Amino acid sequence: MTVNDWVVGTQWFFLLYFICINMGYVMLNLLSMGSIKRYVEAHSLDDIPRGISGFEIPVSVLVPAYNEQETIASSVRSMLQLDYPDYEVIVINDGSKDGTMDALRREFELEPFPEAYWQRLPVKPVHAIYRSRKYPMLRVIDKENGGKADALNAGINASRCPLFCGVDADSILERVSLRRVVEPFLVDPRTIASGGTVRVANGCTVDSGFLTSVGLPRNPLALLQIVEYLRAFLFGRLGWSPINAVLIISGAFGVFSKDVVIKAGGYRTDTIGEDMELIVRLHRLHRTDNIPYRIVFVPDPVCWTEAPETLRVLKNQRIRWQRGLAESLSLNIGLLFHPRGGAVGWLAFPFMAIFELLGPLIEVAGYVLMILAFFAGLVSQEAFITFIVVAFGFGLVLSVSSLLLEEISFHIYPKPRQMFVLLLFVVLENLGYRQINSAWRLWGLLLWMFRSKARWGEMTRGASWQTGSGGSTH
Amino acid sequence: MLIAVFLLRIRLVMVQRRQRFFEAQWQPLLAECVFGVPAEIPQVPPKMRYHFLKIWNFHHESLAGASRANLEALAESMHLGEIARELMHTGNLRERLIAVMTIGHLRDRTQWHELRDLVAHPSPMLSLLSARALIDIDAPSTLAWLITVMAARDDWPLSRVVTILREVGPDLVTLPLIGAAEAAARGEGGDTQVARLLKMMEVAHIEHVSPFVGKIAREAKSPELIASALRLMQDPRDLDIVRTHAKHESWFVRSTAIRTLGRIGGKSDMQFLIDMLSDTHWWVRYRAARALLALPDMPLDIVDHACGKLQDHFAADILAQAIAEARAA
Repeated sequence: MTVNDWVVGTQWFFLLYFICINMGYVMLNLLSMGSIKRYVEAHSLDDIPRGISGFEIPVSVLVPAYNEQETIASSVRSMLQLDYPDYEVIVINDGSKDGTMDALRREFELEPFPEAYWQRLPVKPVHAIYRSRKYPMLRVIDKENGGKADALNAGINASRCPLFCGVDADSILERVSLRRVVEPFLVDPRTIASGGTVRVANGCTVDSGFLTSVGLPRNPLALLQIVEYLRAFLFGRLGWSPINAVLIISGAFGVFSKDVVIKAGGYRTDTIGEDMELIVRLHRLHRTDNIPYRIVFVPDPVCWTEAPETLRVLKNQRIRWQRGLAESLSLNIGLLFHPRGGAVGWLAFPFMAIFELLGPLIEVAGYVLMILAFFAGLVSQEAFITFIVVAFGFGLVLSVSSLLLEEISFHIYPKPRQMFVLLLFVVLENLGYRQINSAWRLWGLLLWMFRSKARWGEMTRGASWQTGSGGSTH
Repeated sequence: MLIAVFLLRIRLVMVQRRQRFFEAQWQPLLAECVFGVPAEIPQVPPKMRYHFLKIWNFHHESLAGASRANLEALAESMHLGEIARELMHTGNLRERLIAVMTIGHLRDRTQWHELRDLVAHPSPMLSLLSARALIDIDAPSTLAWLITVMAARDDWPLSRVVTILREVGPDLVTLPLIGAAEAAARGEGGDTQVARLLKMMEVAHIEHVSPFVGKIAREAKSPELIASALRLMQDPRDLDIVRTHAKHESWFVRSTAIRTLGRIGGKSDMQFLIDMLSDTHWWVRYRAARALLALPDMPLDIVDHACGKLQDHFAADILAQAIAEARAA
């Protein structure tokens, strides 16, 4: 084989890879278009008042908190006002080093409670359990630091309801969030987990822990992430839902059947992406044991989260996510092409492994090698341009199509000017941002391969809405 | 695709502007229905029919009594029934849903057979709304059949089914529920349907369903069925079967039986409940503690005293928790 054959072969490999990944996303996009239209139509009467039967499934909202003194009181207050008839809130203070526990004590008048704690999942020692004098539905577990997964497991142990909902302490919820995400459990008794769309809160107005108006941030990095979140949720996840192959339910807001999770062993404490790992494991266990189940994605925007506004924080987040993805897939490799794996084992898992896990490696190598080969004169101008068109053009098509899905369904950003800004950032996203992201994700992949230690994800929160009980963030 | 995004946004802006314009005219008129039928009849352009029906239904669900009658009179003078019938036959899912709801609220008998057909529609929303519309139109003549459908369709959320039955009221639902449950228990529906019907019976006259419930509690083998029956028991004459099930091998049945014991039991059950505080399952221990506190004529200090004497720390811990909860309540 000559050098020229190698160069031609490499060119074709990268070209085909970029075509395949983008065609895959186009397919997901088409699936999403159908299901989002059906969903929006079927839920068109949701805002008409409806009675309460007393048969709604009770839910425990679990809020793991680690060094969240700035936002915890506001977050918990909003979680106490959800529009759901039967739920409890359990905050798990995971050995915070700041004033998180003091903030909770002060704000909610906590008192120690003699609870017969039922340790169904192994967790780090619990120091005390508190109950709020002001809100009987609120309990707080104060425990030794063990990470987010350990905190969630402690919450599951203390939960009294058949369903639990893991919520990030900094999440901003919609009042109807629980109602929306619990619905799949009511409609289909086989449902074991359900999640909704997470949106970027930067630029929005928040009052008493609830989102009151939707806006766009001034920070360009946050704007780029808005476009990215649209794509990731509206078809990155919704597309898999109709074929029961959703592999990610965001840790920021997801509802699970408690007994099923306990039977599966709870959240793994030795992974970074404990939310994704749990979902992949639930798929694997149910598929291999031939137990009927459904894992559902609800397209409604149910949760808003603060996106990083600095490159350093964003880089750390993306590295963490990539490592989480690698761990989740590698720990459940038995699902890949399992004879009973169904759509998840034969489609979603390989798609994730090839395009999301190994994607950054191939993408970065593709960009670097093609550029080097072009300047070395090993690649023709036509071939180079074709590569650039495929790599950037398809990316642009996908980003615009996610905006199209948004326009068909929820049109969250009400002002035409906001839509124009997003359209601009749809273009800009493909010119540098995606490539930097690929490089960070590649770094995450390498860190996973060399097994460096996992910790709680530390993220600098602006928390600029935290002004007394109300305020706003812009 | 970019052009599609632009066009969709332009369309959205125009639709929203039109909606705001008409809503400003309609809302005061619909609000007037609280006091009487408005003299002025609003015009509904064809493109705004869906939107108007939605606002009208929103008001109908929010109001009661004479205000509802006024809304219905307004609808009649505006020929909303005709609009709804047309949308039900020709519209997309969104339009059919609002049309079916409107037809139900207007008690439009002419669509009876179409609604019966829609009850079998695969969409849970459309089929359930059609069932509700039939009940709105003529509950007595359709409940017996609909309740068997409600038992069979497990894609109809039980919470919504119960809400509908509760609106109808126990006088009308009790006998059809018993009839459907007896038929299902004879083997026509299976345990799952009987259990679902037992849950629906919470909206029925409990004294009428008691014989059936007692029979199920005595004869059923499935833990789910037994637990569903135990949940409904109110009659102290059934205490023997409740006590028997409090020793059932399934923790779920034990905890439900103990909960029932707390509701209908007496002081004589105290020692039994204290023994159950040492059960192997947390929920059984918890229910036993709560039941102890719920027994009639059982002062908190007596239970507190009993707690101090407990040797088993699992029993003592759970009772301490229940006492603390009772004090905090």
